Amino acid sequence: MSQSSTTSSEDGSKRANSESVAVDSVIDFKGKHFGLESTSEDSDDYLVSGSEGTMIDVERFCHADYRIEQYAHSVLDFSSQYGIDLSISYTAPNITGRPSKYPEYGDFPQTFAMRTYGAWWERAPSRLKEIQPQNVSEIPAEDFIAIFETYNPGAVIRVWAYTIAKTWICLWEDKEFYTKPLYIPSRARRFTPPLKRIQLPTKTIRLEFNHQRLHYYTEIDAVLLSGKKFNTRNMQHLLDYYERQRKGSILCKLQNMKFRPICRDNYQNRLQHFLMHDLDKFISVLSDVQIQSIQHQQQQQVQSPSTGEIKISKIGLKNMPFEIMLKIFSYLDLKSLFRVGAVSRFLYDVSTHPLLYSELNLKPYWHLASTELLSTLAKRATILKKLDMSWCGCTVQTISPTEFKKFIQQRGDSLTHLRLNSTKFLNASCIDTLGIVCDNLKELSLRNCSPSPPLLNFSCLANLKNLERLDLFQTVIESDLLLTMLENNPKLKHLNLGKHNKEYEFTLYLITLYALPAFCSVAVNMDDVAQHIAKYNKQLISLDMWKAHFLSAQGLLVLSNCHNLEEIDFGWCLREASLGDSLREFLTQCTKLKKLFLAAVRGLTDRDLEYIANLCPNLEQLDLMGVLGISKERYIDILQKCAKLQLLDLCFCDNIMDYDVALWSRTFKVDIKSCQVPNDFR
Amino acid sequence: MHSLGWSSKLISRALRSGFSALLETTTNVTSNNGGSKSRPHFISVVCGFPKDFLTSKYKPGKYGEDSWFKTSTSNADVLGVADGVGGWRSYGIDPGEFSSFLMKTCERLVHCVNFNPQRPVNLLAYSYCELLEQKKPILGSSTACVLVLNRENSTVYTANIGDSGFMVVRRGEIVHKSEEQQHYFNTPFQLSLPPPGHDHNVLSDSPDSADTLSFPVKDGDVILVATDGVFDNVPEKLLLDMLKEVEGVTDPVKLQMTANSLALMARSLSFDSDFMSPFAINARRNNINATGGKPDDITVVLATVAI
Repeated sequence: MSQSSTTSSEDGSKRANSESVAVDSVIDFKGKHFGLESTSEDSDDYLVSGSEGTMIDVERFCHADYRIEQYAHSVLDFSSQYGIDLSISYTAPNITGRPSKYPEYGDFPQTFAMRTYGAWWERAPSRLKEIQPQNVSEIPAEDFIAIFETYNPGAVIRVWAYTIAKTWICLWEDKEFYTKPLYIPSRARRFTPPLKRIQLPTKTIRLEFNHQRLHYYTEIDAVLLSGKKFNTRNMQHLLDYYERQRKGSILCKLQNMKFRPICRDNYQNRLQHFLMHDLDKFISVLSDVQIQSIQHQQQQQVQSPSTGEIKISKIGLKNMPFEIMLKIFSYLDLKSLFRVGAVSRFLYDVSTHPLLYSELNLKPYWHLASTELLSTLAKRATILKKLDMSWCGCTVQTISPTEFKKFIQQRGDSLTHLRLNSTKFLNASCIDTLGIVCDNLKELSLRNCSPSPPLLNFSCLANLKNLERLDLFQTVIESDLLLTMLENNPKLKHLNLGKHNKEYEFTLYLITLYALPAFCSVAVNMDDVAQHIAKYNKQLISLDMWKAHFLSAQGLLVLSNCHNLEEIDFGWCLREASLGDSLREFLTQCTKLKKLFLAAVRGLTDRDLEYIANLCPNLEQLDLMGVLGISKERYIDILQKCAKLQLLDLCFCDNIMDYDVALWSRTFKVDIKSCQVPNDFR
Repeated sequence: MHSLGWSSKLISRALRSGFSALLETTTNVTSNNGGSKSRPHFISVVCGFPKDFLTSKYKPGKYGEDSWFKTSTSNADVLGVADGVGGWRSYGIDPGEFSSFLMKTCERLVHCVNFNPQRPVNLLAYSYCELLEQKKPILGSSTACVLVLNRENSTVYTANIGDSGFMVVRRGEIVHKSEEQQHYFNTPFQLSLPPPGHDHNVLSDSPDSADTLSFPVKDGDVILVATDGVFDNVPEKLLLDMLKEVEGVTDPVKLQMTANSLALMARSLSFDSDFMSPFAINARRNNINATGGKPDDITVVLATVAI
C-alpha cells in the first residue's frame, strides 16, 4: 500500500509542508432536476453518471436519450465557511443555484468562501499535529461535474458521490496536488475534473478542499452536475443488478443457500478437512456449472503442494524479532494494517498489537467508519492515546452513539488527544461519557458540533481538568460551562472560540445595534470570557476569537494579563468604535506576539498601527483586512520595524495602490495580500 | 432651440433607460403567465433620473444615489426603493453605495429560503445585518421602502423608513399612502452605518422604527413606489390624475409610458424655480423661505395588480 509519509510516527514530529492533509472543509449538496419551471418539481429524479459500462448496460434504465444539467439544490453539510449562520455573504448556501458572479473574478460576498487559506495556519503557534499521518494516502466520464471558482481556484482535491447503493465512491482525486506547480490565478475558472466512471446514479456530491497551496481565500460560486436522467421506477432493478454484478452470481448463491461447513478447532487442517468431508455436500447443494470449475481449481491446489517442490528460504518475515515487525508495521495505514492481518496467524498477531493502535485517525475513512469498525478497534486499541474521528457519521448515521459511548468507556481513560470535528453521531450521553471517563485529556477538539435543533448539553465537560488545547470553533456551549471550563484548566495553552455565537444571535445582533450595550446581556459575552482567561488561564499561548461577537475594548485590556500570548485572532470581533488605549496596553504586556489578526476591526486608527509597529518586534503574521482610514506611512512603518513579518493582509484597505503593494512586497520580502474590487454589487 | 434639443435628448434618454426596464417587465409578464393564472401578480415598470442626468452614466438598478429593485418568487412579488443621504459626500463616502447594497441584498434575501412575505421589515433588518458582514466596509445611510404582494391572500405588506413612500390608487382615489418619517425638516428617518468614531454625531434609526402597513388589493389597483424626488416635486393631485389613467392596464408598454412621463414631470418640475412644489410648501411651514422644486434623484416604480 502506498505511503505518503516520510517521517516516522514514533517521534511524532511532522513537517507541515510535506504531506499534511489540511483538508479543511467539505460540502455536500443535493442535486435536483434543473429548474425549468414548466416541468414538474419531482425531487426524486436521479442522475446517471456513467452510462456506457462494459459490465452493466445502464442505458436501458435511462429515461431518454438526452442529457440534463443541474445546479446544486441545497447544502447538506459543510465543515467551514467564512460567513456566519443565517447570513448570505460568503456562506455555504451561496454555492447552490446558478453562478451569480462567474465569469467575473474577485472577492465577492455572493460566493462560498472558507475560513482559512494557504499554509499560514500551519506556521502559527497554534498549529496542530496530525494523528497517524500515514493514513492519508491515495485512492484510485461525458458526464461531468463543473465547479465555478471565482477567486483563487485550485483548492478542490477530491470529489465524491453518494450512490443509491448507499455507498460513497470517489469520482476524482487530485494525485499531483503536492507536486504540480502552483496555479497562479488571475481569472475565474470553470473546473471540470475527469471523473471515474461508476455504474450507479447519484444526486449527492461531496467536495473536499485542501487550501495549503492557495495564495488567498478560495471562493466557489456554483456547482453543476451533468448527466442522463435516471428513471426511478427502475431503481430497484438496477440495485439488484448491481449487487449481482458486484458480488458475482456465485457469491449471491452462496449467501442464499442453507449449507454451513463444520468447523474444527485446528484451523490448519480446515481446508483439507472441508475438501475431504464436506465438499460433496457442498456440490450437491449448488447446481451451477461455474462452481465445478472452482472445485477443479481447489483440487489442483490441494494436490500441488504435496507433489511440487517449493523452496522455503531459511530466514523470512516470520523469523524477525517482534519489535522489528512492529516498527515496520507502524508505517502502514489503517486499511493496509487490516489487510495484512488477514494473511497469516503471525502477521495477524503483529498487526493487532496494541502499540500500533495507540494513535487512531479515522478521518480519511469517514465513508467507511461504522459501528463494526469501532467495536473491532475497541478490541485492539487497549492503550489508545490519540483519536481523531472527525467527519465520521456524516449524512449517513453509520455509527451509533451507544457504540461510541462503549468505546469511550472501554478505552477512553488513557486518551490524551481527542478530535471530533463535524461529527454527527454525538448525543448528550456521549458527551457525558467523555467528560466522566476521559480525564487525562490534554486536547479536545469539537469543531462544528452544533446540530440543529437543540444544542447538546456539554455540561459534563466541566470535569476535564488537564486541558491544554480546547477547540470549539463553530460550536456553541453554554457560557457558564465555558467559564467553568476555563477556571478548571489552568494549563490551557490554545483556545479557539471562533464563531462562538448562537444561531439566533443574528437577530439579537439587531437588538444590540440599536440598544445600548448594557441591554445585551442575553448574548454570549466575550468580555466575561476574557475576564476569566485573564484570571485563570495565564499560560495561554494562542487565542482565537474570530467572529465571536461582542468583545469590547475593556475585554481587550483585561487580556493583557496573559503575557505568554503568541497568537491572537480578533477578526470581526472587536466591534467597538474606538479602542482607546486598550490595544497599546495589550501589546505592551504581550511582547511575544507572533500572529495578530485584526480583520474588520474598523475602529483601528493610525495610532494603533504605530503601537503595533513599535511594540511587536516578533510579529510574523498581521491581518488588517477591511480597516479604513490608515495612512500609507503607517504600513511602511510596520513593514520596516517588524523584521520577521511574513504575511500582511491589506485587502479592502484604502490609501494603497497596486504598485505600492508590489514595491513593498519586493523590498521587505513580505507576502502582502491586497485586492481591488469593483464598486457595484450585482 | 437649445431647450428643445435638451428636452429631446432627455426624452430619448428616458425612453432608453425606460426601455431596459421594459424588457425586464415583458419577461416578468410571460413568466408570470407561465404560472397559475388566477394568482395575483404585479405588472411593474421603472423609470427615473439621477440628479446629474446629463453628465452621469446609466447604471442598472440605480438612479444617482437612489436605488431600486423588483423581483418575484412563486408566492410573492416585491418592489423596493432606497434613497441615499447625500450628506456623506463630504466625508469621502459615496452615498449611493449604501442604498445600492441595501436594495441588492433585499433582492437576494427575497429568494432565500426563510423569506417571510408578510414581514418586509425583516428584509430591511437582515439586509442591514448583512452590511456588517461585508469584508469591504460600506458606510453611509439611506431611507428605504419595501412593498411585498403576498399571492396567497392578495395582500400587500409594506415597510417604510424615511421619506420615500408608496401610494395606492383605486377607482380614481388614493386608498393608501405612506407617511413621511422625519426627525426635522429635510432630515428623514434613515438606516445608517457611520464610520467608526462618528457614531454619536450621526442619526441612525433602527428597522423597528419602520412604518408597516398591510392591506388587501383588488384587480386593477395601481401602486406607485417612489423616492422623495417625486413626492416633493409633484403635487398629489397631479400624481393622482396620472395614476388614475392606468388603472387596470396590463399592457407594460402603456404602463412604461406613464412611468416615463411621471418621471419626466418630476424632473422638469424640480428645476422649475417658480413653482410651488410640495417641498416648498413644507419648507414654508417650517419657516424657511423656499420656492420652486427640489432638484433630486427621481425613481418611479409603477405597478398594477392583476388577478
